[in-house]
Amino acid sequence: MIELKEIHKSYLLGKIPIPALRGVSLKIEKGEFVAITGPSGSGKSTLLNIIGCLDRADAGSYGLIEHRVDALSDDELASLRNRRLGFVFQMFNLVPRINAQRNVELPLVYAGVSLSDRKRRARELLDRVGLEDRINHSPAQLSGGQQQRVAIARAIVNDPDIVIADEPTGNLDSVAGKEIMELLLRLNAKGTTIVMVTHEAWIARQAQRIVRLRDGMIESSGR
Amino acid sequence: MIHGATSFFDHLVQAGWALWDNRLRTILSMLGIMVGIAAVVTVGTLTKGGHHMIFRELHTFGLTSTWVFRAEEDKDPNRAVREGSGIDNDDLEVIRSGCCPAVKRVTPMVMGWVKRMIIRFGNRYSHGQIEGVGYEYTRINNDTVIMGRHLERADELRRKPVVIIGPTVRSDLFMMHDDPVGKEIYIDGRKFVIVGVLETKSRDFMTSIGVGAAFGDVNNRILMPFTVLQQMLGKKEIDVLQAEAVDLGVSELAVSQMIRVLQHRHDDHYSYKEETMAQYIATANRILQGVSVIGVVAASVSLLVGALGIMNMMGTSVLERTREIGLRKAIGARRRDILLQFLLEAALISSVGGVLGLILGGLVSYAVTLLIGFPLMTSWMVVIIGLVVSVGVGLLSGYYPARRAAMMHPVEALRYE
Repeated sequence: MIELKEIHKSYLLGKIPIPALRGVSLKIEKGEFVAITGPSGSGKSTLLNIIGCLDRADAGSYGLIEHRVDALSDDELASLRNRRLGFVFQMFNLVPRINAQRNVELPLVYAGVSLSDRKRRARELLDRVGLEDRINHSPAQLSGGQQQRVAIARAIVNDPDIVIADEPTGNLDSVAGKEIMELLLRLNAKGTTIVMVTHEAWIARQAQRIVRLRDGMIESSGR
Repeated sequence: MIHGATSFFDHLVQAGWALWDNRLRTILSMLGIMVGIAAVVTVGTLTKGGHHMIFRELHTFGLTSTWVFRAEEDKDPNRAVREGSGIDNDDLEVIRSGCCPAVKRVTPMVMGWVKRMIIRFGNRYSHGQIEGVGYEYTRINNDTVIMGRHLERADELRRKPVVIIGPTVRSDLFMMHDDPVGKEIYIDGRKFVIVGVLETKSRDFMTSIGVGAAFGDVNNRILMPFTVLQQMLGKKEIDVLQAEAVDLGVSELAVSQMIRVLQHRHDDHYSYKEETMAQYIATANRILQGVSVIGVVAASVSLLVGALGIMNMMGTSVLERTREIGLRKAIGARRRDILLQFLLEAALISSVGGVLGLILGGLVSYAVTLLIGFPLMTSWMVVIIGLVVSVGVGLLSGYYPARRAAMMHPVEALRYE
């Protein structure tokens, strides 16, 4: 499903390149729940962004499902993210001015799905994350946990192969965090591959497999 | 691999939400465009109205009219020839007989103001200006006779005591519902029969800028056969010849043909001067052009300010929504989706502002029309130009911020605080 080979990535700090990933190779199979951990600055977010096709590697190759990601154009990457990937962020990243249902609809808007289909699908997903009575609430009217559940509904509204979760519980109290982890585990149980970055050990332990990074390299791949 | 295109309607809805979310800012930038478009409309409408009015007034002289008279400086006391106007009735007949191909019609003018004459009907009096004219005078000057008839050749030849009066003379001498035609009035003790009444003419604007002031109040004229007035004044000369040129392009030629005939017939005793409507038309066009250039510059400046307002607003909006842009990209928005969304926001502001500006411009034009008596000239052209310009301004000023949004890197945009 995911195959990274010798991935290198560095950032420019002023004019000095700072290496973030130094030859990362990683294979993730369909249906896995992988937690990527490591100290801050170890390159785990960089790795997740590359896996999520939000960023490109400087060197190395990346195969995702049947695609060679490094050969795709920016618009093709956008299309790939839209169809095959779902995103959950630490900051939820809901559009503040539109209600829960319309936030969930957004990926379908960019997929060109008709208005009535979008509406039906978004309600179905909000129902699935237990927010059927919050459809018309704006993000500001929802608790952090509820916002993150809307974000998960949005992430899976396109029926993605992989959900990319960047510290999904990082901004939540432990009760809400637990609920989100339960949702993700249930999703994984139905066959969705999940790749999650976290620095909390108790969150990471719930994944099947833990990949540990240190200084831009894989310390242990959980295999 | 290519996913379905987002519908235009969806982009429009997204743009609408974003604008609604920033209502105050949206309204403020709309105002900028509104004022700009209102300025364009007002300038367009008033320029057109002014043009219409000036030309309507120029028309009251006959657009191809020319006047020939003896030059004032010619009456130099050191020169042998001092007296006389240098134009007599035989000159008129020669020109009437067709010796000047560029002249279509010609009328003599004999001024009555040199002698104070009392004009009376019963016990009512008039201060009308008496002019002795030829039978073609009213047609050359585009005068409409609303009652009775024009002067005729026979009136000149037989020195008939008949007059055509202007509307002011009519209201001075007669009750509103009386028919003046056929009534007898006394001018300097002589009995005249009114044979026609002229329609009211407006030269208000021309008079206010000093054009044609020498002709006096156009509505207070009393026209009689010039031969009759010559008899009353005891003179045999004509003060001015007014000729209608075949068309505007040959008015100078008509003048020079007439002057050549006059000089030849008087053995170069006199020198002559002329005035032509063509000169006034050229002046009017120059003034109108100047006014519209000023107007266009003023309107452009206010439009530019409006455009900068939109650019600034969109720039701020893009910056504030950086994370949202990152999110939209993450979940599948392509560059063109982001570009289109922000362009649509800008175009929506400017087109709504443009429509409001059209309305405001219409109202302002209407108010000015009422205030200074311009005719209101609405034109679809102005409306279309206003709308095209406002949408264009929106797209142009929205393009730079929209492009910046579209080119953002998703990771950096998502990380933006």
